[in-house]
Amino acid sequence: MTRNAVKATDEAAKRNTDIQGSEKGLARRDLFRVAGLGVGALGAVAAGVTAASGTAEAAPAETTSTGYRETDHVRKVYEVSRF
Amino acid sequence: MSRAVDHTVSPAVAEEELLRAQVYGLLARLLARAPDAALLATLGDLAGEGGDFGAALDQLAGAARDSDPAAVEEEFTTLFIGVGGSERTPYGSFYLTGFLNEKPLAELRADMARLGIARADDVSEPEDHIAALCEMMAGLITGAFAPEEDGAVGLDAQRAFFDRHIGSWAGRFFADLEASPSARFYRAVGAVGRSFLAVEARAFDLAA
Repeated sequence: MTRNAVKATDEAAKRNTDIQGSEKGLARRDLFRVAGLGVGALGAVAAGVTAASGTAEAAPAETTSTGYRETDHVRKVYEVSRF
Repeated sequence: MSRAVDHTVSPAVAEEELLRAQVYGLLARLLARAPDAALLATLGDLAGEGGDFGAALDQLAGAARDSDPAAVEEEFTTLFIGVGGSERTPYGSFYLTGFLNEKPLAELRADMARLGIARADDVSEPEDHIAALCEMMAGLITGAFAPEEDGAVGLDAQRAFFDRHIGSWAGRFFADLEASPSARFYRAVGAVGRSFLAVEARAFDLAA
């Protein structure tokens, strides 16, 4: 049984995407880094919350290469947000 | 993006944005129900990376190591469910008006409908519960509410939602949680939430 408090409606509106790479985007990124919002600090959270759900998902890959890493992140976040 | 490529997943959302979503997801999880032993064990391994938020993560890790699931479950019940009145009432409407189910909830429902979000079928709590709101933020960041549309909601829309439904009260809620007489583990959850929302507010200002 799902435990989500919310779900998407069928009429979900079209989204615009983020401001990646812009000056403001970089300033934002720096702020999060300085604030301690790092992969090292939080890398275990997604895996932990996921594992704790009982869905037996694999632990996050240690790799820091580009490409599929963000894909993994996306997948994990979906799982996390399913709570 | 090129449609010639076979995309089987959503396009990448920047790493720091996903980390934000993870924090919201974690807060949503911890505020929806008490953590089980496995989650406590994972949280016990967290290590902050500086700043108020990092210190709060360290505090959460320590609290998780010092807690057992049964005690945290009882603490959760006392804090949020409590027979004859819980210690904390984690609803936006309550914080903003002093009453549940007031105008802020109606405004939230209107925004949810616009954003394509609805309350899950098996949930009876009003949508302005802090856990639901954190879940919504996570979903807006990752695009979970419109995966077929390939996209997350932009920062402007995130900020509008945050300012209207979270920033206006949730900082006070987390501070109250930190100061709750019965809070032990959840004292640290309050610290994580309070410090994270402060970072969020500053980051939205930067992007404005």
